[in-house]
Amino acid sequence: MFKSTNLDMFTFPFTNFKNKTYRYSNDLVALGEDNVNFMKITPEYKVQIKHKREKLDKQPDVRYQSFPHTMEMQWEFVELLIDLAVDKYPEHFSIEKNGDQWTFSNHILEETETFIFGDESSISLEPYDMIGRHFHHDFMLMVNRDDNFYLEVAQESFAALFSPNWNLGMSFNEIHGPVPFVSRDGVELADRIRKFLLTIEPGAPRTRVNWNLMADRWDVNYETMDIWGPERHKVTKENAGKLVHLRVEEQWFIRMPRSNAILFVLDTQFLPLEDLVKRPEWLEITHFNLADIPDYMAEYKGMAPFLPQSVEYLKNLIDTIKVK
Amino acid sequence: MYNSPVLYDQSETIKEELTFNDKRRKHLIIYDQKAVSDIKQVLAKDSQEELEYEHFEIEKSVNLQDLRTLLYSQKIGTHLYIASDWDHAVTVFTEAVEAGFTEDEIQTIIYGPKRRYIYCMKCYNTSEINYDDEVQCTHCDAHMEVGPFFSKVRKGYIGYPFIPN
Ligand code: HEM
Ligand SMILES: [Zn+2]
Repeated sequence: MFKSTNLDMFTFPFTNFKNKTYRYSNDLVALGEDNVNFMKITPEYKVQIKHKREKLDKQPDVRYQSFPHTMEMQWEFVELLIDLAVDKYPEHFSIEKNGDQWTFSNHILEETETFIFGDESSISLEPYDMIGRHFHHDFMLMVNRDDNFYLEVAQESFAALFSPNWNLGMSFNEIHGPVPFVSRDGVELADRIRKFLLTIEPGAPRTRVNWNLMADRWDVNYETMDIWGPERHKVTKENAGKLVHLRVEEQWFIRMPRSNAILFVLDTQFLPLEDLVKRPEWLEITHFNLADIPDYMAEYKGMAPFLPQSVEYLKNLIDTIKVK
Repeated sequence: MYNSPVLYDQSETIKEELTFNDKRRKHLIIYDQKAVSDIKQVLAKDSQEELEYEHFEIEKSVNLQDLRTLLYSQKIGTHLYIASDWDHAVTVFTEAVEAGFTEDEIQTIIYGPKRRYIYCMKCYNTSEINYDDEVQCTHCDAHMEVGPFFSKVRKGYIGYPFIPN
């Protein structure tokens, strides 16, 4: 299991987790200029890519889904990712275009992808799957039809409770059916968020952060519920620091100019609770938030069986620091 | 289209008994042998002179050719009533959606049991189920809790796997 080692690159704390305790809300915010480009190479890059490709190779039906009519959008996605990567990390990624003949180079992994842009027969994987395997994010393509968004392509290896196979073809509202979207003021949220997404324009992506706790596991999906469900009960207030990980999913919502689809990008980062001592302020904030999670949210997030132990562990940790 | 409506046991179109939607100009009633006597009664009792009615009786099996011709020839303003057993209703519903009917324009009255399916998150196959909360996959034997969420693409309810103790 990997964890974030460069805490300056760990997305924490975030809007909605800082001033008040956490509740569901439309917490989408505009991005600062330096953060519009989601590309981020951390010390964990190689481990993440290895993990991602293993998942995709061993469980193709679980990790990647698409409709056959999405090829044009898939190429738009290829171009977008290459542009962002080369723009932010010219030392790591480069592209050579000879008419439609493109060669993309990943210098970190010392790999090249050569293909004819727009021609699926020039590569063995689907274009979206091929280019997505060079980046450690999860990518979901939501197509805008009749004021809603439908999941038409998904490549997922890290996000919690996300199943490309199950969610394929679902609308924004159907996908969020399981989420107990109760806001502080009790307003039904799914439609409000959907309407907000409709206003996102090309060039002005939005961001939000989702978070969860994991018990000794990073892969938490419906497909493996029979395994991780029972394992959650082994957490105690003594071992929570090592077993329980704070999981932070930084998300981007990008309007694709040609297809008008919304690309949903996730960057999942992990930190064991014990590492929070390295940033005492984060430790305080995390404890403050976790101590006030309503039951319905703890149940939905799957952390109900080990939340009390985790809160107690953090409380003790704070006390130890104070004594010193 | 993958996001077209499908007929499943919780479909909003399913009603206990046929009630004419009096905002529509025309009523198209498609029924099978199980529903025939009910339909004749309703028509005798509730039909109004200024409205238009058309019926289509399914004898033994559905003649797809005739059904399609009928559905595609309808103009805007037609309300469709399907009164039949489950399998006939699925056939008619699917063809009607294909022909452009929306769920608002369809009423379904089911004779006999409705079929339900579960989508196994272990092996991605569907199995037919009854109304039990917990079932076993007929393909891989996984034990599953029947979830409340339905996928139109997978045509089943989500099955959350668990290991019985
Ligand atoms: C448009 C692309 C989006 C996709 C594809 C997506 C997908 C998902 C999925 C698959 C889940 C898990 C559902 C389950 O348990 O089965 C989820 C949960 C959730 N989503 Fe989204 N989502 C999107 C946008 C958003 C936006 C814009 C917001 C809020 C502003 C949002 C807020 C949430 C929240 C709060 C949860 C519950 C997560 C938790 O508490 O751990 N989503 N989403
Ligand atoms: Zn199965």
